[in-house]
Amino acid sequence: MTTASLASATDAVTCSLCGFEYVPGGDACRERGCPVALGGCATRHCPRCGHTVPDEERSAAARLVRRLFRPRPPRSGETLAELGSGSRGVVERILGDPGLRARLTAQGLAPGVAVHVLQTTPACVIEVGETTIALERRVAEAVKLRRDQAGGVESPAAGREPTT
Amino acid sequence: MGEGVGALSIDTAAGDGAGGARRPRKVVLLGNPNVGKSALFNALTGLRATVSNYPGTTVEVCRGRLSGSDTEVVDSPGLNSLLPLSEDEQVTWDLVRSMRGERDAVVVQVADAKNLRRALLLTLQLGQLEVPTVLVLNMHDEAEARGIRVDLPGLEAAVGVPVRTTVATRGLGIEGVTAALAAARAPHDHLPLPEDAAPALDLLTGRADLSASPPACLARYHESLLSHADRIARRHATEGGSGSAHLSRRLGRLAIHPVWGWPILAAVLWALYELVGVFGAGALVDLMEKRLFREYLDPWAVALFSHLPWAIARDLFVGEYGLITMGLSYGLAIVLPIVLTFFTAFAVLEDSGYLPRLAVMSDRVFRLMGLNGKAVLPMVLGLGCDTMATLTTRILPTRKERLLATLLLALGVPCSAQLGVILAMLAVVPLAAAAVWLAAVAGVMVAVGWLAARLLPGERGDFVIELPPMRLPVLQNVLSKTAARVEWYLKEALPLFLVGTLVLFALQRLRLLDKVIRLGEPIVKGVLGLPAEASAAFLIGFLRRDFAATRLFDMSRGGGLDVVQLVVAMVTITLFIPCIANVFMIAKERGFKSAAAMSAFIFPLAFATGGLVRLFMHAVGFRGAP
Repeated sequence: MTTASLASATDAVTCSLCGFEYVPGGDACRERGCPVALGGCATRHCPRCGHTVPDEERSAAARLVRRLFRPRPPRSGETLAELGSGSRGVVERILGDPGLRARLTAQGLAPGVAVHVLQTTPACVIEVGETTIALERRVAEAVKLRRDQAGGVESPAAGREPTT
Repeated sequence: MGEGVGALSIDTAAGDGAGGARRPRKVVLLGNPNVGKSALFNALTGLRATVSNYPGTTVEVCRGRLSGSDTEVVDSPGLNSLLPLSEDEQVTWDLVRSMRGERDAVVVQVADAKNLRRALLLTLQLGQLEVPTVLVLNMHDEAEARGIRVDLPGLEAAVGVPVRTTVATRGLGIEGVTAALAAARAPHDHLPLPEDAAPALDLLTGRADLSASPPACLARYHESLLSHADRIARRHATEGGSGSAHLSRRLGRLAIHPVWGWPILAAVLWALYELVGVFGAGALVDLMEKRLFREYLDPWAVALFSHLPWAIARDLFVGEYGLITMGLSYGLAIVLPIVLTFFTAFAVLEDSGYLPRLAVMSDRVFRLMGLNGKAVLPMVLGLGCDTMATLTTRILPTRKERLLATLLLALGVPCSAQLGVILAMLAVVPLAAAAVWLAAVAGVMVAVGWLAARLLPGERGDFVIELPPMRLPVLQNVLSKTAARVEWYLKEALPLFLVGTLVLFALQRLRLLDKVIRLGEPIVKGVLGLPAEASAAFLIGFLRRDFAATRLFDMSRGGGLDVVQLVVAMVTITLFIPCIANVFMIAKERGFKSAAAMSAFIFPLAFATGGLVRLFMHAVGFRGAP
């Protein structure tokens, strides 16, 4: 399904059996006299081949499963702890005790370095160049990021709006 | 700092051992963690290594000789900076600093070819210390697969030292490293350090001492080194793709995934149980004990010693408390198979890169006990040998954490020998009774950890851990590591098994055994509700708790213990201090006072918990023979 066809018919779906593109619901169902068409029909019925599939958008279970697999939309923030998985940022400075700072800088996490957040639980896991480092929240909070967010756009899912 | 220090060497840096190449007498391997130092060490020395403590400390260093020469090769713990921020790094720092004056000592810096930037940070520090160096870009194959191209001559000129590429695990490029040793020179020291970072140089060279709290200039110093390193790496190496489709990378991500990480953890534990519990403690122990010892070795030894005219000598070797029939057969038949399978599994986990990921998954649990996820490493190793694990607590950043981890290891982590006996016990009692054992031991550990974390002064360290890529372990390395650990274990455990047997033998001969049994009766019978004969087992428990567990298990097999007694006995003996060697190790690592305090705390606690478990099990209504 290309972006062009999406734009012309916003709710169009493609039948998984015959490939026909159609808009589910609407008058077509009612005209055929389908008894469930009046109420909350939770299926999609292909007008060409008749193949019927459950409407995943209406299924709470399907939505739950999808949420499990969907990466969280990246968030931007002032510290590393506020970044969502998949987002990127550039370190501005590291606060906290000198010993911790010395250790982090020796591992390559230093001001001006781009970081890529892989996940946030059970610990924050970041990629710095070729190095993967896991840090607890308390440490991630001490890593301040640049506010201009130069790196934020590189993220694969960056097109989505940040949600809070 | 002198710009010209390394400048003289540019033109000759690329040449292999020019002219009458003089081999250095000493080679120190150094580098970031997980870059393959040990693999290169094995490749250079051909596996003839001895593990020894670094003089004056208890940090272990591998030593060996370069194949076909008498050059000494010393491995060192992995480190990210030569500034000594932890005990491990202090050792390497001492090692490198001691080389500054030596003419014939060379550092071979091992680097991950994929991560040149971080490696160069160390190289620049070696330049500041003016130590002759050869830079080895290891794991060259992985870098090439990622499309990383390194301009070797350019890098050699920029850094001022010979640069070689290797794939140490497969033995590729090793001759190149050996040949380059003679051409080693100090890396360029091209740093005009920023003013606020300059004091760090005095710490590095040892002109100033690192006081208790590290000053802010250290971070600034690393930052300026990093930006230099970054510039060199950018100029002489191309950036590689991220290799995101790589299976190992996906597996590495899944192992710490908030959802999928748990089933993976369960699968790892299940595999561990199958290998150690079912195969090692079950099949192998059966084979060794029932077949080898009971059917062949014991009768053979009895026949051999029956020629001895003195009954006492016969009993000493093959009697009820005989050195062979009891000491050796406990040690070799029951302990060896379990230790062997456990350490094999542990080496596989270690080399695969899973353990740091396990630390990530278990961070929350350990935080409850005032520790952080890093503590999982000594805890899991403790399932092999608590004494060895007590040494490993050094990886924990603060004194408080090291003390806590040492205490918890001594208190509740059963070592592999004991684990084997416990697994055998779990097979004969009902599942609910086995759950009581687990709940009692885990409950005491968490409660003591929680309390001690609040009572002991000091802070919990920050949890920061590097996750190395997941790798398929190399058989040779797994086997050599396992062999070294099993050797350590047997050297430590077997003599104590024999001593324990001798003590029992002597007590019995001197008719003191009955006295001991009567002496222990109030506690063993009164508090724990066990037969008075179990006193002898607990007495030996002071030497090694697994020996005592084996003894108790033996008693139960003869029908001497019912379910409640068996669980009470196992809980009590699990909470004992692992062995006398462990007490010595605690004293060595944490001081005599700590060792004494821990012993004074642990033994009464073990008996008290055993008593409580007995009351609980009676109240709930457990009874009957297993």
